[in-house]
Order: sequence, then C-alpha cells, then structure tokens
Amino acid sequence: MTTLDSRNGRRLTARGEKTRARIVAAAADLMNVQGVGATTLDDVLLASGVSKSQLYHHFAGKDALVRAVIDHVGGRVIERERDALGHVSTIPGLRRWRDALVQNNALRHGAYGCSLGSLASEVSDQDDAARRAVSQLFTEWQGLLAGVLRRLQDGGTLPPEASIDQLATGLMGALQGGYMLAQTARDVTPMATSIDMALAHIESLLLIEPTPDQATHGAVILARDSVRAHQSPSASGS
Amino acid sequence: MRTYFVEVLARERACLAGVTDGAMLAGWRRGVVEELMTPQSPYVLALRQTGDVRDRADFLDRWRELIAETVDRLLQSGARGDTHCSSARGPKADVDAQKTAVLILAALCGGSTLSQVARDPRPLNAALDLALMYFVGSRGQ
Repeated sequence: MTTLDSRNGRRLTARGEKTRARIVAAAADLMNVQGVGATTLDDVLLASGVSKSQLYHHFAGKDALVRAVIDHVGGRVIERERDALGHVSTIPGLRRWRDALVQNNALRHGAYGCSLGSLASEVSDQDDAARRAVSQLFTEWQGLLAGVLRRLQDGGTLPPEASIDQLATGLMGALQGGYMLAQTARDVTPMATSIDMALAHIESLLLIEPTPDQATHGAVILARDSVRAHQSPSASGS
Repeated sequence: MRTYFVEVLARERACLAGVTDGAMLAGWRRGVVEELMTPQSPYVLALRQTGDVRDRADFLDRWRELIAETVDRLLQSGARGDTHCSSARGPKADVDAQKTAVLILAALCGGSTLSQVARDPRPLNAALDLALMYFVGSRGQ
C-alpha cells in the first residue's frame, strides 16, 4: 500500500509512512514539552530513533517538519473536539466538554497547555504558511463551538439576536488564555475559572435557565426585554 | 524582573487607577488592544510563553490584581450598566471581581494569541467583549 507524501507528491511505502509518522510524533511531543524554538532536528533524530538521511528524505528542514507537526496536532485536536462537541445542544453538554478539558489539563498540572495554542504562540511571527495553517485550525475549532451555540439558539435557549460566531470566538479566547494562565501558574485553577466565567457570561444571555444538574428546560425566565436592552446600540455608548 | 514586565505593570498601574466608569474602561481596553496588535510592543513581549516561568507568573499575578482592583471599584460604584442587566438571573450582585479579573486576563492572553496568529484584531475584541460583558460601553467605539 502506498500513500502520497504531501511534501513532494511522491508515493510513500507503508514502511516510509511509518517512519514519517514516527518522526512527526516525536517532534510533536518534543515541541509540546520544550517549545518549537527550542527543539532542534538533532533532538528529533534522537527521540525518534531514525537516521539523518531518513529524516531529510521526508522533510526538507525544520519548517517543513513544523508544518507536519501542525497538521498532526491540529488533526488530533479537531478530531477530539468534533467527538466532544459535534452533538452537544445543551448547556449541561457544554459544561461536560469543559469538565473534560479541565480534567485532562489537571492531570499534568496544566504544565503543557493546549497543544495547538502552544504552537500558535510560537509560529505567529515565524513561518507564514505555518501561521496560516494554525489560524485555519482555530477557525475550524471555533466553528464546532459555534455549532453548539447555534443549536442552543435554534432550540430557543439562546436569543435569536445573540451573535453566535462572536461568542464562539470569545469563548475560544477565554479557553486559550485559561490554558496559558494555568501553564504559567502550574495550576489548572485559572483555566477552570476562565472557562467557567466565560460560560457564565454566555449563560446570562439565556432565555431559559438550565437547572443545576441537567435539563435546559427548567424554569423559564422572561429575560427577553433585558437581553434586548443589552443588544441595543445604546448599550455601546455611555 | 524583565524590563517589559516592569514597563507593562507601570503603565497598567497608571491607566487602571484612572478607570472609574465604563467609558474609561473602554479607553483602557482600546489602548491594550492597540499594544497587543503592535509587533514587539512590551505588551506582546510580556505575554509570550517564554523565559523564566516564575517571573511570568509573578507578572501575571500583579496584572490580575490591578484588573481585580479596577473591577471591584467599578462594581462598588455601580458602574456596571444599569441599562444592561442582561442576566436571566436578575441584577449581578454576585459578580466576583477576582474571577472576573481572571477572565479578563485570560481574554487578553488567549485573544491576543488568536489575533496574532490570524493577523486580525477581531478575536481579541471578541474575547474582551465576552469578558467585559457586564460593563456597559466596554468596547466604546
């Protein structure tokens, strides 16, 4: 069986592909732990156990390897998030997503942050193709969050005038910033606080208040008027 | 402590001390967004995930405290919008200044990362809109 090498369009044998995957996985781990800038090709050679000629057979240099790492890491994050968010249509579902992220990050005291976010902060002023690839992955991830918020809106939980994409982007900012604060503090608490507060702000727009345990169909709160007051242009003045 | 940490804290201390209403908060926010969208600004350097982690933790703690003091002052003075009150749970007497400050700082860190990678200030502004939701006129365009 052969697959196409994205770099040069060559066909890769199964064995070639395995070698390539081993290089990328080792590079991804190293870059996640010690950063993109601090990871050398020699580190990758040592960690993957491949030869120099094998590495250069697959990658022209570090930039090409970083791009492959972005695809690898981004693919895994998007797959995980699609599984976690793809069918969520309630606030309790969104909270379970939050719980899983916080729990996973707590296992390592938040030390390594978000694998995609860490790449973002390192490539933003380096290789332009890498920057655009990371940006595209974030757009995709935000699209999954926007999907949840849109289902909440379609179900009548969020008001029709709420700006879904704007809220999804804001929530992603809070999540990424939470990861960064946790990473610096070596403590997951600021990440949990940040997402909780962002979700609380989104929940404050809800037309229907969720009950503590589940149901989004709890007590109906007639908050439409006050929500409109917030959304009206006058709210941006003063 | 690194010079950019010292510089950002000095500027933030001065800017935030003068914030007593939503319009002033909007002014502060515009200034910070501008700094974070300027390559090599001390704000950009200070928020990088590089260098000594304890220095950075100390810097972020101090900045968060300055933001929390400001949020607390705004809450005390009732500067959070009377016209807003979007909460389905009525007036936000329960807004926690410390936790709000964590969210605002996270929005600055995460929003600027997203904005720098997208070369577009919109993600940072969206993150701040969500974080400053309870303060009317926070965007102040």
